[in-house]
Amino acid sequence: MNEKRTILIRYDEIGLKGRNRKYFEKTLLKNIKRSLPKDKGIEYRVPRGRILVDVPKSAVEVCTDQLKIIPGIASFSIGISVDPDFEKMAALGIQWIEPLLNTRDKLNFCVRTRRSAKTFPHTSPEINFEVGSRIMTQLSSKGLIVNIKESEFTLEIEIGINETIIFDNRHPGLCGLPVGSSGNVLCLLSGGIDSPVAAYLMACRGCRVHFVFFDNQPFLGRGGYEKVLKLAKSINRYQGRAKLFVVPFQDIQVAIRDHCREENRVVLYRRMMYRIADAIAKQFEMPGLVTGESLGQVASQTLENLAAVTCVTSMNILRPLIAMNKEGIIKYAKEIETYEVSIEPQPDCCSVFMPASPVTRGKIPILENDEERISLVELQEEAIRDMETINVDLL
Amino acid sequence: MIYLDNAATTPMDPKIISSLQNDMHDQFANSGAVYGIGLDAKKKIDESTETITAALGIPASHNLVFTSGGTESNNLFIKGLCFPDKKTAYLGLEHPSITETLQSFKSFDNEPVSLLEYNKEGRLDLSCLPLLKEKRIRLLCLSHVNNELGTINDPVPLISKMITEAPQTRLFLDGVQAIGKVKLDKAMWSGLAGYSLSAHKFHGPKGIGLLIYDSRLKLNPQLHGGKQQFSVRAGTLPVPLIIALAESIKLATEQQEAAQNIIRNLQKYLLDGLKELEIPILINSPLNDHQSPAIVNFSFPPVEGEVMLHHLEEEEIYVGMGSACSAHSKEPSKILIGIGLTDEQARCSLRVSFSRHNTINEVEKFLNAFKEAYRKLLPTFIKRQIDR
Repeated sequence: MNEKRTILIRYDEIGLKGRNRKYFEKTLLKNIKRSLPKDKGIEYRVPRGRILVDVPKSAVEVCTDQLKIIPGIASFSIGISVDPDFEKMAALGIQWIEPLLNTRDKLNFCVRTRRSAKTFPHTSPEINFEVGSRIMTQLSSKGLIVNIKESEFTLEIEIGINETIIFDNRHPGLCGLPVGSSGNVLCLLSGGIDSPVAAYLMACRGCRVHFVFFDNQPFLGRGGYEKVLKLAKSINRYQGRAKLFVVPFQDIQVAIRDHCREENRVVLYRRMMYRIADAIAKQFEMPGLVTGESLGQVASQTLENLAAVTCVTSMNILRPLIAMNKEGIIKYAKEIETYEVSIEPQPDCCSVFMPASPVTRGKIPILENDEERISLVELQEEAIRDMETINVDLL
Repeated sequence: MIYLDNAATTPMDPKIISSLQNDMHDQFANSGAVYGIGLDAKKKIDESTETITAALGIPASHNLVFTSGGTESNNLFIKGLCFPDKKTAYLGLEHPSITETLQSFKSFDNEPVSLLEYNKEGRLDLSCLPLLKEKRIRLLCLSHVNNELGTINDPVPLISKMITEAPQTRLFLDGVQAIGKVKLDKAMWSGLAGYSLSAHKFHGPKGIGLLIYDSRLKLNPQLHGGKQQFSVRAGTLPVPLIIALAESIKLATEQQEAAQNIIRNLQKYLLDGLKELEIPILINSPLNDHQSPAIVNFSFPPVEGEVMLHHLEEEEIYVGMGSACSAHSKEPSKILIGIGLTDEQARCSLRVSFSRHNTINEVEKFLNAFKEAYRKLLPTFIKRQIDR
C-alpha cells in the first residue's frame, strides 16, 4: 500500500488578486508551513493556483486538523498516487464511496479529471466516463447517482506527467485571506461572547489579531484574567504569534467612579480603553482596532455612544459584528469553540463600578467635562507602564 | 501566604501526605481480592475502621461507609433512606448538599419542611419538635456546625427531647465542619440515625469521606454495582485514602483539645482586633457556647465582601465569602439572609475560618490588611451610596 498522501490545497480569494497574488500565495504557504508538523518529512509543491503537500500517511490526520483552521484555504482534498489504470482508479473510488452509502439511501456523485499530461491516450471527459461507469456498475444498486450539478461526492483525478493522483471529496476550509496579508490589528478582548468572535472574523480577513484586556484585579479575582488567557489561546489557533496586553484598569475605574457623573461611567471607561488601545496599537504598529460591539446590543453600543468612543482615536475601528444579532454571534462562538469559555461564570465588572442607569446617548462635551475632573493622561500612562505583555504562542 | 479559609478546605498535614505517598505505592491491591495482598488491603481497611470507631466513640450499632466526601455521604443517607416519599425537614441553613438533595424530592410531590422560623441565631430552636410530630416527619436534617456561621446544633439535648416529643423522627447531622473543631459527645450516637464527614476539612486528602449510620436502617444504594460496604455503596475501596482518612481523624481527635484552645485564642484575638479597628462591623456568628470558634462571619457595609476578599488576596491572605458582588451577581448567601441579614449586610461580609495551624501573628496581619483595604475602599463605596 502506498504510504504517501498528497494534499491538494485550493485558495480562496487569493485567486482573485491581481499583481499582488504572489504576495498572498507566499503568505498562505508560510502559514501552512508554520502550522503543519516540522518533523514528518512533509514536502511542498506550488504549481500555479494551488498548493500540493506530500505527507506520510501517518501524518494525514494531524495535517487535515490544521488545514481546517487556516484562513485563506477554500478547500483541500487528500489524494493517493495510483497507476493510470481505469480499474485501479475506480477501485479506489469504490473504497471511498461505499461506506458512505451504508448510512444513506442515495448519494449524488461525479468524477472530474484534470489532465496536464497530454500524452495520456484519453481526454478528460473520456476518463470521467470510464472511471465513473465502473464505479456505477458496482454501486448504483446501493443508491449512487451521477449528478454533476449537485454532486455530494466528487472524485477528482489529476493526470500529470510523472504521476496520477486521485483525490477524495473536498474538505471545506475557512476561506478568507491568509493571516498576515492584511497586517496587524489590536482587539479589545473582554471575557464575553462577542469580542472573540470579532477577533476570529478579522483573522479570516487576513489580519494577525493581537489582544488587549483591561484587568479589574483586585476588585475582581483572577478568574477574568484566566478566562481571557484561554480565549486568546483559543483564537490564536487560527493565526499564531499573537500578543496579549493586560492593562491594569482598576485605578482608572476608581477615578472615574469617584469623580465623574454616574450615568456617564460606562462610556467614560470605554473612552479610556480606546485611548489605551490606540496608544498600544501605535506603539506596535498595528493600524486598526477591533471590537465586538454590535449596534444597540447594550446601552454603551448605541450610535451616539459608539461615536462618543470612536472620537478619542484616529485609528481604524473595525467592528465586524456591528450588524449581527446575538444568536448569530453565539453560533459563530460555538463553531470556534470560544462559547463555553465565554459563558464561564466569571464576573467581568464589579457592581460597585456600574451605574444604576447608564446614559444611552452620551454627549461628547459633557463627557469631556467629566474627564477634566480626573488626571487622564497620568492614569493612562501609568496603566500602559504597568501593563503585562504575554506571548500567546507560549500559553 | 496566610490561609484563613479552613471551612472551605484545609492544607493536608505533612504526616498524612507522607504516609499517603507510601500507601499509594504499596496499597494498590483490590481489597475484594482473595489472594494475600488483597487480604492485606482488606485488613488495612478493617484497621482504619477500628481507628475511626475508637477515635469518634462510634458504637457497634452503627455502620461506617466510605464515600467520596461530604456531599456524597449526605446524598446517600438522605436519598437512601427517604427517597421518594418519606417526609423530611431541615432548618434551611444547611449546606447545599443537604438542601438541594431534599429539594430534589419536590418533583415527587414531597416538599421538605423548612423550619427557618424556628431559627435562633442560626440554630434550631427545640420548640419546633411538636411540629415534627404533627407533620409526621421521618427525618430531620441539620448541620452539626453551620458552614458559614459556625453555629452548633448540639445533638444531645435535641435527641433527648426528640425521644419524647417527636419519637417518629430520626436525626441526621452533617458533621463536615465539626471534626477536630468541636468535641463530639459520644452520647449522641445512640440517637443519631446518620452522620457525615469529609477528610479534607481536617487536614486529610480530598476525595474521601464517611457516612456513619444506624445499622438497623435500610439504605437504598445510590451507586449500584458490587457488594462492597454492606451493599450500600458499590465500588472498589480506595485503600490509601481510607488509611489517610483514619489517620486524619485520629490526629484531629487527639489534638482536638489543644486545637480548640489555639482556635479559641485566635477567635478572641480576631474579635477583639475587629472591635479595635473602629470600623462599624457586625459580627454575624453568635458569640455564645453554641458556636464553633473556628468560624467567624462578619459584615462591614458598605464595602463589598468580594472586593475586600480580592484586596486581601493581593496580600496573599485568603478568606472565605458566602456571596458575590459581581455585575452578573450570584444571589446573596441564603444562610445570611436566612438569619435575618439584609442583602447589603450579606453581600458585605466575609468568613474567617481557622485551623490548628494558624497563628496569632497571621490574625494580626489579617487585621492590618483588612483595616488598610477598608480604608482604601470605603470612599468608593460611600460614593455609591450617595449616588443611589
